[in-house]
Amino acid sequence: MFAEQYSPQEMMAAVCAMEIHNDDVAFVGIGIPMMAGLIAAKTHAPNATLVYEAGGVGAKSRRLPLTISDNPTTENAIFATEMWRIFSDTQAGFIDKGIIGGAQVDRYGNINTNVILGNGTYDRPKVRLPGTGGANDIASSCGETIIMMKLVKGKFVNKVDFISAPGHLHGYDSRQKAGLKGGGPSKMVTDKGIFLFDPESKEMYLSAVFPGEDPLEIKTYFEWDLKIADHLECLEPPTQEVIDIIHYYDQDGMILGGKKTMDTEFEAYYQKMKANYTAIELNL
Amino acid sequence: MSKLTTIEKAVSQYVQDGMSISLSGIGGREPMAVVYEIIRRKKRDLTLITDSKMDSACMLIGAGCLKKMETAYCWISSLGGAVNYRRAVEKGIPAPLEVEEYSNYGASLRFLAGAMDVPFLPTRSMLGSDFLQYNPRLRQMQDPYQGEPLVLVPAACPDVAFIHVQQADRQGNCKILGATVNDMNMARAAKKVIVTCEELVDTVEIRKTPNMTAIPYYCVDAVVHVPYCSHPFFVAEYYWCDMPFRREFMKRNDSQEHFEEWLKEWVYDVPDFDAYLDKVGRDRLEKLAEMELDNVNMAGREC
Repeated sequence: MFAEQYSPQEMMAAVCAMEIHNDDVAFVGIGIPMMAGLIAAKTHAPNATLVYEAGGVGAKSRRLPLTISDNPTTENAIFATEMWRIFSDTQAGFIDKGIIGGAQVDRYGNINTNVILGNGTYDRPKVRLPGTGGANDIASSCGETIIMMKLVKGKFVNKVDFISAPGHLHGYDSRQKAGLKGGGPSKMVTDKGIFLFDPESKEMYLSAVFPGEDPLEIKTYFEWDLKIADHLECLEPPTQEVIDIIHYYDQDGMILGGKKTMDTEFEAYYQKMKANYTAIELNL
Repeated sequence: MSKLTTIEKAVSQYVQDGMSISLSGIGGREPMAVVYEIIRRKKRDLTLITDSKMDSACMLIGAGCLKKMETAYCWISSLGGAVNYRRAVEKGIPAPLEVEEYSNYGASLRFLAGAMDVPFLPTRSMLGSDFLQYNPRLRQMQDPYQGEPLVLVPAACPDVAFIHVQQADRQGNCKILGATVNDMNMARAAKKVIVTCEELVDTVEIRKTPNMTAIPYYCVDAVVHVPYCSHPFFVAEYYWCDMPFRREFMKRNDSQEHFEEWLKEWVYDVPDFDAYLDKVGRDRLEKLAEMELDNVNMAGREC
């Protein structure tokens, strides 16, 4: 049963969840990717192994992790280890895919999460961003990378101010030439559509749109002349089951925008958290 | 030999202005009690050598304790931007902050190199991206065996590391539950190591499961028993995150002036961490513990 009411972020999480397959070992980063991982684990991919940067592998959580080392990242896990070990396993090719996001992306899927320079310099930038965290390592060495970004004007640029996580660098075989072993970006999921990368030039193109979205409107978000697939696919809405899972895990609206709460009342939080995890069935 | 001390003594004895420090955890097990004490004692010109950090780094920056951060990531995750980090780097408020950037793997290998006492380690991370352009301490070389490109990261050997663990004995043998991040290597790389623990246990408890010992006593200089040390953050199998507290902090941190009012209320005007916990509320802390214990280790248990 398709959901009748859902937000673009919920659609994005649902679509991203479909990228995690039952036999995958997959990195899930902070925010919507974590939600996507949990949706996958609760629906079509119960055997998928979710990997968190700080050392959690294969957790079965009843609570939504909010950062890469939260308690739920090792809850009922198969493995709790060190960060250098997780990324050594990544560099050695054990991790199939990773989902990452960013503040800027270019046509080859290079991502910036370090600085927006504006008229400033690296030392005194217009906007200081968090830094790459493990996204660089994931993008360098995972079998493939899935980019997840909301379509916002100014984020899809000709040249990113800082390559934090490598995409296909300058296109064609430049990534391989740089010495990177991971496959690089295979897909970009946004809140209006899905993008793939040309097998030869490695330039991204619009491949599918969400229900009711106009490809020509989507084009306006891009600084470059975005290519569109000859046969554009139209995606179905998320199922009600997926939307319910999102609502169970995120009762406090901490991950999915729109209903993000800044409620500071403790008792309400305590009750919501309880309702949250008692609603989640633990399939061990 | 017991190495037990207090937070006040550990911070005043081991942290001098101008030193480099490291802190355990990411979110979970960030030693907030130590951070508050460093701020309270107005330590200055510190360098924070880290992988990824959240509220701990942001508070030290906003309180003017840091001159430099060697880092992969700094943010108030799931709540919004690291306001203090942005103010310091973009505007020099309250003081300019020098930033030296790595990826998480790069930062991790720096602690591993420090723990091995070798000057650097190689990785394929950061190839093709812009870290080499802005961080002169990163080098690229050809692998002398097969000729492929590699990035070298310099070893990290902080002057002092504060590591929060779930259980430790009086000598400093430590058990960490959940993700261990880079803390085992940090403890071996740092010149001085102060362990804070949720629970003080007898050595016989350590001996029952020796493969769970993350840090052996010979790496450790001092041990402090600090329940709820990471509040408002998590500690696996002990307590859950106090998100309303962090939201309140974020709400009030809309300017340096307001951040300093927050610091006055929660740090400067609070004599020590015990008084801070009283101010948070003991009932509230117990509820955070309950929210964690309801969920941990359900595998194989009746529920």
